[in-house]
Amino acid sequence: MRGFSAFVFRAVRAQYTSIPPREVFVPQFVDAGYGSLMLLTILTFFAGLNLAVQSFGPFSRIGAQDMLGMFAGIGGVRELFPVMAAVVGGARIGANVAASLANMKISEQIEALEVMGVDPIRYLVVPRIWAVTLALPLLCGYCNVIGLASAYGGAVYQLGNDPGTFVHQVMEQVSAFDLAAGMIKGAFMGWGVGLISCFHGYSIQKRDGAEGVGIATNLAIVNGAVFCIVTNLLMSWIMYG
Amino acid sequence: MDTSPAVEIEHVSKSFGAKVVLNDVSLRVDRGSIMVMLGPSGTGKSVLLRCLVGLLKPDQGKVKVFGEDVAALDESRRADREALFRVRRRFGMLFQDGALFDDMNVAENVAFPMRLHTRLSEEEMHARVTDKLARVGLPGTEEKFPSELSGGMRKRVAFARAIALEPDIVLCDEPSSGLDPVMSATLDELILEMHRTLGLTFIVISHDTAEARKIADTIGMLANGRLVTYGPAKQVFEENHPALNQFFTRATQGPIKVV
Repeated sequence: MRGFSAFVFRAVRAQYTSIPPREVFVPQFVDAGYGSLMLLTILTFFAGLNLAVQSFGPFSRIGAQDMLGMFAGIGGVRELFPVMAAVVGGARIGANVAASLANMKISEQIEALEVMGVDPIRYLVVPRIWAVTLALPLLCGYCNVIGLASAYGGAVYQLGNDPGTFVHQVMEQVSAFDLAAGMIKGAFMGWGVGLISCFHGYSIQKRDGAEGVGIATNLAIVNGAVFCIVTNLLMSWIMYG
Repeated sequence: MDTSPAVEIEHVSKSFGAKVVLNDVSLRVDRGSIMVMLGPSGTGKSVLLRCLVGLLKPDQGKVKVFGEDVAALDESRRADREALFRVRRRFGMLFQDGALFDDMNVAENVAFPMRLHTRLSEEEMHARVTDKLARVGLPGTEEKFPSELSGGMRKRVAFARAIALEPDIVLCDEPSSGLDPVMSATLDELILEMHRTLGLTFIVISHDTAEARKIADTIGMLANGRLVTYGPAKQVFEENHPALNQFFTRATQGPIKVV
């Protein structure tokens, strides 16, 4: 825990006192954002569809089958889609970040940077943290759009809901604040995932070898996911509680 | 002419847990010389090298590089960290496995220190990269990635990167390990040529006795954490310390214990 605190202190201080090198930041940002699009598109498409299909039965039993737009709006936009984007996208990005840093560590590439007078925290860690912090809110926003569109498709084309009613309910229930809240959560979760995955990747030693890379990657995924779920709960409580 | 030493190590000790890796080691390396530190595996040679560039902090003692005590610099303090990075920029280091950046091609790897620390134009940088690669016998490999190179080629590219800025001191961590004898001899020739033409100071960590005989001005030997012999190559060979003799004759019995 002491090691993590010291790392966070150093990384955060570097994050806000230096400009990330473009040649490292851009590929990381593209990989985090564009690289996650296919996975998240598939996931949120089916999640949105499922949201409509699974809620249709219980809602129709109480004669509220036209309320799917409201449910997709509240449940999907406020919680499900951003959390899915953060947990799944964060796991993918975090695994990449941790594995790449861990590999650089065991092959002495990080030591090589240090010997060249480069601070690896500023050169490697900061651009990765910024990349995840900026990519994840965009992915959360993107997942909201895909999830809502697929819920609309399911509700209207599969379950026979009135398209106007669906759209009206979504417009009524989902405010600009809700969309912004999802992206703000995404930024916080991205920042946490970036820090956690960088910490695990950066902390292994050369002697840990390939097994260490695996362990670092695993820890980055698990701890990143736990962080996202807990952060989402706390932020939902603060914003909606 | 400045006759102050490039490196001065005074009473340095370093332990990892209960294992004492360096025990009261003192030495000096003159500017423009080639110092070869011999010793069996696991006796602290690489630890000594890492103490020199501040990657490891000795438990006690001083590590002076051009008069600046690297061991006294605290990396968690900003001013000290900047001082440490300033010292490190005077070094070029050839790592045991090359430590080339996987996501960069050969030209980008060699140009990396220039891009960081100089304001050379792209054309000037390209010319320098071509020159360094020609010096290490690898012209025309600019576009290749490290994964496409053999072990020997990777080492030579890493060597080209280490000398890219023509640093004051080049550290070589077991340059011949994992290489065939011909490739090892080629690297030795490269070190001698760089020393001759650019006047660089070399600190070479090795357990290759032939390499030591060929290139060293000064030889040291670390055994069981202690510097058992150190001095001008000729004098050290004449003294023929039992540990050095055991090392050169490949004897299993002697002061060096196999752990």
